[in-house]
Amino acid sequence: MLFKKPSNPLEGYSKLEKGTHSENVEDLFLVCPKCKKNLSSGEISDNLHLCPYCGYHFRMNARQRLNLVCDEGTFEEIDAELVSKNILNFPDYDKKLTNARLESAEKDGVVCGFCEIGKNKTAIFVMEPYFMMGSMGSVVGEKITRLFERATEQNLPVVGFTVSGGARMQEGIISLMQMAKTSGAVRRHGDAGNLFLCVLTDPTTGGVTASFAMEGDVIVAEPGALVGFAGPRVIEQTIRKKLPEGFQRAEFLLEHGFVDDVVNRRKQKSYLAQILKMHAREARA
Amino acid sequence: MFSKILVANRGEIAIRIIRACKEMGITTVAVFSEADKDALHVHLADESYCIGGPLSKDSYLNMTSILSVALATKAEAIHPGYGFLSENAQFAALCEENGFTFIGPPSRVIARMGDKATAKETMRAAKVPVIPGCGLVESLEHAKKEAEKIGFPLLIKASAGGGGRGIRLIHKMEELEGGYQSATMEAQSAFGDGSVYLEKYLRPVKHIEMQILADGCGNVVCLGERDCSVQRKNQKLIEESPSALLPQKTRQKMIDASIRAGIAADYRGAGTIEYLYDPADGNFYFMEMNTRLQVEHPVTEMVTWIDLVKWQIRIAAGVKLDFAQKDVEVRGHAIECRITAENPHQNFRPSCGKIEMLFIPGGPWVRFDTAIYQGYTIPPFYDSMIGKLVVYAKTRDEAIRKMRAALCELIIEGIEHNADFEAEILSAEEFENSTYTTDFIAGFLG
Repeated sequence: MLFKKPSNPLEGYSKLEKGTHSENVEDLFLVCPKCKKNLSSGEISDNLHLCPYCGYHFRMNARQRLNLVCDEGTFEEIDAELVSKNILNFPDYDKKLTNARLESAEKDGVVCGFCEIGKNKTAIFVMEPYFMMGSMGSVVGEKITRLFERATEQNLPVVGFTVSGGARMQEGIISLMQMAKTSGAVRRHGDAGNLFLCVLTDPTTGGVTASFAMEGDVIVAEPGALVGFAGPRVIEQTIRKKLPEGFQRAEFLLEHGFVDDVVNRRKQKSYLAQILKMHAREARA
Repeated sequence: MFSKILVANRGEIAIRIIRACKEMGITTVAVFSEADKDALHVHLADESYCIGGPLSKDSYLNMTSILSVALATKAEAIHPGYGFLSENAQFAALCEENGFTFIGPPSRVIARMGDKATAKETMRAAKVPVIPGCGLVESLEHAKKEAEKIGFPLLIKASAGGGGRGIRLIHKMEELEGGYQSATMEAQSAFGDGSVYLEKYLRPVKHIEMQILADGCGNVVCLGERDCSVQRKNQKLIEESPSALLPQKTRQKMIDASIRAGIAADYRGAGTIEYLYDPADGNFYFMEMNTRLQVEHPVTEMVTWIDLVKWQIRIAAGVKLDFAQKDVEVRGHAIECRITAENPHQNFRPSCGKIEMLFIPGGPWVRFDTAIYQGYTIPPFYDSMIGKLVVYAKTRDEAIRKMRAALCELIIEGIEHNADFEAEILSAEEFENSTYTTDFIAGFLG
């Protein structure tokens, strides 16, 4: 190239004031990362956010997942009003929260409530990838803890969908402490003889993997989901070795005994319903 | 008006002057050294004459050769540009004696402003702020008395000083005695002259200069400031007008002081008053007066729409200024980057050679003053500046963007140059928020 590109930032653009998600061209058209086919966003949203050609599992927001797995009209949300505050006065956190709320149309990174799946009553939480990549701050931790506590009181199972970049660094130690708090609630729920069924979706990492995501009685993953603590690049740089193909992917984890099954999104509802049914019968007996 | 002007310079400034003359209908005479026979000014002028060997002292500083050409070609005036003979009082006097108009102030003004002590004295008398200091101190007691008046921190400087020797930075009265003794002893042994004087020590400062035009008929106008604080070893790299950091109140004070300075110096023509501006306390101090056209004059031209070279010529020809201070309006923002044939990665080593490929940036309000062309060979004998890229825009932010884009468009192949380095400076935080002071580049280079 004869001419260099000037380093001018986009006029009127601020990273912190990006438009809502659907304004981006990439949202109208995208390329499947697996089979590289060009897809329109309408095409995949009509198809459970799966690639119609190769079945690649695209990311899906929390409400869409609830629609997918809950019996129609049964979902009742709880703790919807909880919002995070910038307790540490972390620079730009307020703006990030505002943007995350705009981008995801959620108040924080998880949606909790009760529903029926195949007529089995259950507590459910679904994490929201479009809210700061489902990072766990005080509100996410508190909502999940409360859900487990209520489920324990009512002797209900919990179904959880995880997607997370880990603990929310903008809340510092308070977000790390959520790991212990949620783990405690999961344990008490389990000690009371209740089932926790966890579905790991792409990506589930960091403090969420290190706490409740890996504490399910039954742990399943979506095909191709990345599940780990540190990401593959960090590990490669630390151990200075090339990682094996498919490392930290759902299928690799199944092979090595970290998850119980890999379940396609299309079959998830019937799969969950069946497990809930089996465990409900056992509990009654 | 003059019908023929001899341009006693080379490079981009010779081109700038010849262009102004062409627009004004004036015939031009170029002079050149043996190394410059292919230079652009030689071809652009109506007549061109070789005046000596490649070294400046044999050609562009060769007063007799230049004056002989002026005589032989019947030129009426001589424009010295900047550098070379532009601030040489003797040359100006020789022009006057031989009946040529020297396009600049009278030789006596050049001489007076060229002497730092006299210049400061003139300014002090005209109530232009000068760095607080005193004359030679005779004893420690005298030094203490003066130090109290000046305030701390201050510098003890050897009168015969140079190279940083005989200079002491004093923070408080207790340090004065020791500093005074060691400075005088060091000065005595280094220069054989132990006399010292005191001067206020300034923190990081901005180099802000004010452009004036005086018509010699009592009219002096000030065309606003230029911030020239982006300097490497006292060589300016980027200049801009106006300065974003200068409060309007201070600007007005500096404009008033500069007009007083112009009157006190009995000035005629285009001149520049250089100040040190302390952004911490808002004070400014006279540094020196340049009795010539400045390299960075285009930024003032862009924001005021006043052609400084044409006015230099008009004033020399006896034309009165047709505008007053109230008509001077600074609009928008202009930035100039000096493009030099130097390699910033090798300690700014000069580069010379043949320009294999040249692409000059364009678009609205982009100006490139240069004397190079594709196929031209840059000789090793002269200044390494090969062009001045100037942009103008409504706001400073837009001007910076325009400059970044223009620098990327500038292609000069065959030699090394500093365009990328200039772009890096433009993106530095200190430049973007315009807080940079004269020590910025030293820190930037680490």
